[in-house]
Amino acid sequence: MWDAIRNWKIHALVLALVVMAEWIGIHSFKVGIGTIVLLPMLYALMVGALLGPKFLKLANQKDMVDAGSLIGVTLMLLMARYGTLVGPNLPMILKTSPALILQEFGNLGTVLIGVPVAVFLGLKRETIGAAHSVSREPNVALIGDVYGLDTPEGQGVMGVYICGTVFGTIFYGLMATVTAALNIFHPLALGMASGVGSASMMTASVGSLSAMYPEIADKIQALGAASNMLSGLDGIYMSLWMALPLSEWLYKKTYKIKYGEFPEEPKYKGV
Amino acid sequence: MKSIEVFMVLLIVAVMTLIGNFVGANTPLLSAVPGMLALVAICMAGVLCAKFIPVRIPSVAYIVTIGCILTYPGFPGSALLSAWVQKVNFLALTTPILAYAGISLGKDLGMLKKTGWRIIVVSFVVFIGTYVGSAVIAQAVLKLIGEI
Repeated sequence: MWDAIRNWKIHALVLALVVMAEWIGIHSFKVGIGTIVLLPMLYALMVGALLGPKFLKLANQKDMVDAGSLIGVTLMLLMARYGTLVGPNLPMILKTSPALILQEFGNLGTVLIGVPVAVFLGLKRETIGAAHSVSREPNVALIGDVYGLDTPEGQGVMGVYICGTVFGTIFYGLMATVTAALNIFHPLALGMASGVGSASMMTASVGSLSAMYPEIADKIQALGAASNMLSGLDGIYMSLWMALPLSEWLYKKTYKIKYGEFPEEPKYKGV
Repeated sequence: MKSIEVFMVLLIVAVMTLIGNFVGANTPLLSAVPGMLALVAICMAGVLCAKFIPVRIPSVAYIVTIGCILTYPGFPGSALLSAWVQKVNFLALTTPILAYAGISLGKDLGMLKKTGWRIIVVSFVVFIGTYVGSAVIAQAVLKLIGEI
């Protein structure tokens, strides 16, 4: 760890990225029906990813590994800030708690549209791993436990996990602005929906929403943080008891429609 | 990881955030210092709780909880603490994190090629599914209980 901390090169690079990103600042522009909000964190992420040996060659393999090992700690300050956002808003959060708890079931929306799309794209058992959840760390661990990670299910969950790591922040930031611009959902509802169990995805979404609705930004952030904590608590049980069985069932149904026969029975890891 | 190492990283990130806060949100550098120190203190309190309380709860859970309790309306000093941390722009805190994440991402870009386009499409569908699913329910229930 000292090794990574003493790697002053990455800190200097990060500082340069931060100053550059904050200098450019928040930009929003209209695209069709929606307003796209670009945040400094987005520039920092994208330019940061280009520093590697394949592009700008400013960071080598060790720098990239060192930077990765520090992310967990850097998140702590943000978590403390989230705590101080939830505290003052706790009375409001408790008032909205029925919505907060019930919207957790919305995570099953993943299965309902993910499984059919995956099957019709031609994926087989990868579907179960890929479409049962947003595939963050706890879900990867769960699939590893139930099926094993060296299986098609494991490849599915790892694929979405990598994809989420690479595109998650950008995607959630942009999706929040687009869905908000549709004017179907109240910003507080979108704030709640932002808590999918990943701090970075939630932050990207909540950040874009706060830039669009500065007058209720602290409420949006508080609800996003509360919902994200809730997802962290219930996520694994929800996946195990509801999302996985639902995925298996829907996989069979859609497989029958596409191929005209039922798929072979799933293989579970020896228990 | 040792607590002193965590403390070092927190200080580094705190300084970067203050600079970013200054450049981006135009908050005078010194006015955000008390809030930032408070956040570092909350983090360290959380780290030490996780270390010395023999239940296996991750430090981030302690950190969020401590931050939440200290700013709960009516808790002694909560108003002052809230006023301090408000000077630390929430978005300014995210920029250094994603800069570190970005640099580390460089090594995952190659793995993405192996994943295949189908999984990428499914990923986006999955992200949309959970977001819109939750938003629909949240919207309906918030309407029902008259919050919006």
